[in-house]
Amino acid sequence: MSRFIELEVLLLLSFRRSRHARLLSMGLTVVLLAAACGGGPSGSPADSASPATSPSLGASPAVAPSTEPLKLTVGLGYIPSVQFAPFYLAQQAGYYAEAGLIVEFQNKIDPDLITLVGQGAIDIGIGDGTSVIPAVSQGIPIRYVATIYGQFPNVVFAKASSGITSPADLAGRKIGTPGRYGSGWIMLQALLESAGLTPEDVEIVEYPDFTQRAAVEQGAVDAATGFANNEPVQLELSGAEVVVLRVDAVTPLPGPGLIAGVATLGARGDAIAAFVKATLRAMDEITANPQVGLDAAIAAVPEIASARDAQLAILSATIESWTGPIQATAGLGAIDRDGWTASVEYLTRLGLVPNPVTLDDLVAGGFSRTDY
Amino acid sequence: MTRGAWLSVAGVFVVFVLVWKGIVVLSGLPPFILPPPEMVAIRSLVAWTDGTILPHLGTTLVEVAIGFGVGAGLALVIGYALARSAVVERLLSPYLVAAQATPILALAPLFALWFGSGLLGKVVICALIVFFPVAVATMVGIRSVDARLLELGRSLRATRRQILTTLEIPAALPNIFGGMRVGVTLAVVGAIVGEWAGADRGLGVLINLARGSLFDTPLMFATLLTIALVGIALYLVVVAIERRLVGVR
Repeated sequence: MSRFIELEVLLLLSFRRSRHARLLSMGLTVVLLAAACGGGPSGSPADSASPATSPSLGASPAVAPSTEPLKLTVGLGYIPSVQFAPFYLAQQAGYYAEAGLIVEFQNKIDPDLITLVGQGAIDIGIGDGTSVIPAVSQGIPIRYVATIYGQFPNVVFAKASSGITSPADLAGRKIGTPGRYGSGWIMLQALLESAGLTPEDVEIVEYPDFTQRAAVEQGAVDAATGFANNEPVQLELSGAEVVVLRVDAVTPLPGPGLIAGVATLGARGDAIAAFVKATLRAMDEITANPQVGLDAAIAAVPEIASARDAQLAILSATIESWTGPIQATAGLGAIDRDGWTASVEYLTRLGLVPNPVTLDDLVAGGFSRTDY
Repeated sequence: MTRGAWLSVAGVFVVFVLVWKGIVVLSGLPPFILPPPEMVAIRSLVAWTDGTILPHLGTTLVEVAIGFGVGAGLALVIGYALARSAVVERLLSPYLVAAQATPILALAPLFALWFGSGLLGKVVICALIVFFPVAVATMVGIRSVDARLLELGRSLRATRRQILTTLEIPAALPNIFGGMRVGVTLAVVGAIVGEWAGADRGLGVLINLARGSLFDTPLMFATLLTIALVGIALYLVVVAIERRLVGVR
């Protein structure tokens, strides 16, 4: 509260005394200059020994062995979770170290992470594909380098007893959602549109506190938006039979994947490629044996050990979401370029792309190879 | 304010904008980190004229108005009781201080859970944040009434109501308005915090949308500018009412 009292005093002074107004202006100048000096990108720990070879965007980068480990700051989602098991496994099994990398994880929410990656403060991180498109359109210099979720993880879920089996069944129903924004809202609009519906044809009930699963469970709404590896899994674990409606079949939206800043890709493309390769190796291992991923996640986040079964169920749902049609043939990490093009068109129709963007503005090819 | 004072205020604003522009030019920071002032000005103009800001502004103003009214109203009553009753002060003070010491940012999600994501939750947060400064100012103001005047009133057989309306309230008003000046700006903060914790409309929601969905930093600045203007406008309203009732201090 003292800050507001100070503000009051400053305002009073500025209104009443011109001499003090001058002092105030000097103070503001000092504060802003200090902010400018301290506000630059931080945490980009480029060593002097960092590889000089830099693959051009869109080209297949070669992974050059480095003499000294290179430090990479990696942004994961909001809180440590079993869904980040590949990163934990690659760290613990030494895949990053083998690639000459010292990896440091930071947990951030998606909007912050996208901005920090664009700024270069974080070298690489997980970002929603549907966030990358408006972000690049607004001039944030980032590129999507590898797919993590081949299937769009945002879904509509309902109890089987609701009778909902397809998007057309949502007409006139109550649908819970955290809000009319973000990837969940985009997915819901696409799903409704596939059945010739709009949000006006359903009753939207907002749950900004993300309690829509409880609302479905208690029958307060007929269906809700959520993540395939979260709310529906938990609802199922509570004993309910659950129906999940996915958007992939109707509108191919890009799911969360690895994103890096344009400047980082230019200067440290080799390191980014090595990081992607090591992560995909861990994803393959976990796909083959989920238990390995669960153990790695528990080692990284011991708090989740108390609910092993639930965590394994979440991890299994996560693994399922990694593989879409493209990844099933080209391997994990592969980017569905046609899907991205269709998504840009769809988001443009929704008014989320204020400035035109091309596929090359969004996606950097060659980083998601799986030929190891 | 005199003409000279207004010119000083305008001068400070011009210096602020020039420094801002200077930082953008010298640092080379891209617009998604620090947009230049002219970009923010244009975005503000567009957002004000195309209906982006107005619906959110209306929602926030309603929350602030009701929250401030409820919080300040309760604070006047409790503040008076605190000033005039040692028992009330002894019983309530620890809770009032504890409520003030608990970060409103931590309480906001709980309030959203208890009172829902509608108007009620925001009003409660605004009222809580407004309550303390106004209650304390009221208590101090009432206690500052000259004891000899009160004695004189009683000796003239003035009723309790007469003492309240002719002695205590006029004497305490400068202090009360001091608390209200702080309280009204805090009410804006309370509404924004409440909207962050869960809402579908309001200037706090617009900041989140600009930041999290649209990645529109100039719109975020335009919204912050609007919030600042709302705070200043409400502050000036309180000052104007104070001058009308108390005179220039």
